[in-house]
Amino acid sequence: MTLALDLGLDLAFGALILATALAAVAGQGLFRAVVFFITYGLLLALVWARLGAYDVALAEGVIGAGLTGVLLLMAQGRLRRADALADPPARGKLAAALAGASVTAALVWAWFTLPLPQRIDLDAPMAASGVENPVTAVLLNFRAWDTLLESIVLLAALVGLWMLARDAEWRAPLGPGFHARAGGVLSVFGRLLPPVGLIYGVWLVWAGADQTGGAFQGGTVLAAVILVAMMAGLARAPRVGAPAWHAALAFGPGVFLLAGIAMIAVGGGFLTLPPEFAKPVTVTIEAALTLSIAVTLALLVVGPPEQQNGGGT
Amino acid sequence: MTFWLHLIILGLLGSLAGALWRVWVGPAQADRMMAAQLIGTTGIGVLVLLAVLQDWAALTVALALALLAAMAAIGFVKAASSDGAGDPEECAPGPTDARDGQR
Repeated sequence: MTLALDLGLDLAFGALILATALAAVAGQGLFRAVVFFITYGLLLALVWARLGAYDVALAEGVIGAGLTGVLLLMAQGRLRRADALADPPARGKLAAALAGASVTAALVWAWFTLPLPQRIDLDAPMAASGVENPVTAVLLNFRAWDTLLESIVLLAALVGLWMLARDAEWRAPLGPGFHARAGGVLSVFGRLLPPVGLIYGVWLVWAGADQTGGAFQGGTVLAAVILVAMMAGLARAPRVGAPAWHAALAFGPGVFLLAGIAMIAVGGGFLTLPPEFAKPVTVTIEAALTLSIAVTLALLVVGPPEQQNGGGT
Repeated sequence: MTFWLHLIILGLLGSLAGALWRVWVGPAQADRMMAAQLIGTTGIGVLVLLAVLQDWAALTVALALALLAAMAAIGFVKAASSDGAGDPEECAPGPTDARDGQR
């Protein structure tokens, strides 16, 4: 009985995901596609949770439902103001559909032909990692090199985004210059969410060492806190040259790099954490990375500096 | 107990499908956005039930969605304002029945 219900639940999740994915790419209208894509991210988070991958569900939820939604909706609004909302010609759609279908076909082929991966025995290395959440151990200890490079890629993405600014607007504050009615719904919400988000984000990082959570998820929640405060007009967006914000951006990758080099001095290798220091070093790197991830993601969504009061927009 | 939990989750997923239909039909942008918010709320309900059914770690995910599901609504009001940076409350009150592609 329970088995049939379990199957029914999985089938319902699968059907909803498929329907949402199809709705996002089919039909006319960019706004509808954007809303379906946001919904798709939310449903993916549910499905990852159903599969028991709670860390992935958390990442998908905070990125997919939180930040990507804001980014896409604001991009859609900008296209509408620039009168550039027309759907692409049918020929381009056919090519995109063919490319998408062939990727799907390749994935199906891979699913049926590739051998199942051997289950890796993590028990012995986990004991030496100093933490109890295997995802954290893999990200910050066993494969720290990957995570270090990823944190630098985020920084490079932000620099690339800033390069899109026009010369005349370079010294203006970042973003379109958010404002809201004082005492209105948005500015009240901007005071309500940040305290709760701050506690939850910091807790996610701290708890991430031993249970679901981590620097990336916690950093994304904190990025949302910064964003809400800026979008509600309560916090001013910095300029490109603001030294304190530069320091916050470079702090995480910097601490990560220095910790990696320090490990050579104590007898490990570059980024090889000896078991006796593993826990404090991991937590230090996570705390520093969280700050940088939060600021980088928030500034990525805020966008390049734009002239206020007329001009570009 | 698990029987009823499964049944309630299936019911919630049914209501989620109804909201998906509303996102498809619209017709106003606000209708689609409100339906997306309903999907967020329903999703939190599903996650809380999954926490009872499978593992309490699902509650962490539910909390994250509860905090951040409203972000899309903020993005929506920003995009709907005339300069893309304000909020509709700053303008004079009036009908804001924005259809896709128009105002």
